[in-house]
Amino acid sequence: MKSLPNYLQTQRKRLSLSQEEVGFLLGLAGLNKGTKVCRDENYAREPSLQDALAYEVIYGRPVRELFAGRYQQAQQNVAARAKILNFRKVRKLDVRKQQVIIQLADQASINPSNQ
Amino acid sequence: MIKNKTVRVLAIAPLSRGLGYAVMESPDKLIACGNKAILRHKNVGALAWVKKFVQFYQPEVLVLPDVNATDTRRAARIKTLHRNIVTWAKQQQFKVRLISITQVRVQLLGNKQGTKQAVAETLAAKFPVELEKRLPPKRRPWMSEDPRMDIFDAVGLATTFWPPVR
Repeated sequence: MKSLPNYLQTQRKRLSLSQEEVGFLLGLAGLNKGTKVCRDENYAREPSLQDALAYEVIYGRPVRELFAGRYQQAQQNVAARAKILNFRKVRKLDVRKQQVIIQLADQASINPSNQ
Repeated sequence: MIKNKTVRVLAIAPLSRGLGYAVMESPDKLIACGNKAILRHKNVGALAWVKKFVQFYQPEVLVLPDVNATDTRRAARIKTLHRNIVTWAKQQQFKVRLISITQVRVQLLGNKQGTKQAVAETLAAKFPVELEKRLPPKRRPWMSEDPRMDIFDAVGLATTFWPPVR
């Protein structure tokens, strides 16, 4: 199953917080604090790293769980690149490096929803 | 048969005032639930909202109440709306699962007999964080049905999608 890009709304409703309150906690300025949170929740805005970490603090869930869809996408992209890297010929073979690359490449077959 | 498999399910309960919806990813993971009141052009408005929900939550299965089952009585308008939703879902190549009210009662109460209030209380106990606050007071003979009951109808349908773990 493909995860949703983010689960911010689910987590916010779990804590009974309003979008404006979350906006205030994120440190967003201006009158339209809630609008930015709304845009994050509706996948219309990509929050910055600072905001993503603040979401983790507010909701008490890891970023990769809050942004499960994005994490899944990043994991697949890294795995695809690791496969390419695995085929690259190197003069000096480093066993540890090889293991890491194989592990990363294998992540493409792991279902991220089980994590 | 689906057993605890992670599948995103969107349950829609079309009712007289609008519709209730629930999104679940596993038997105990309720992603979203709520109700939408539609006051004018109810069937057109309800179908538009179903399309919005499908676009937003990207479900794999659409769960609807079986309005043609022997244990169910629905208004002609709701039957038409139900037919429209099923037709649209089939055009979009969605899996549609119809669940009757008896199936919901058997799964949640363990009995064919039971009230909507009992089903709602069972669901509120199962999902206290999401549903406890939304549980309406017990309906008295002189009261109309609480609009929040739509939510419990939809969550009941979504929960019944997964067979009980024995």
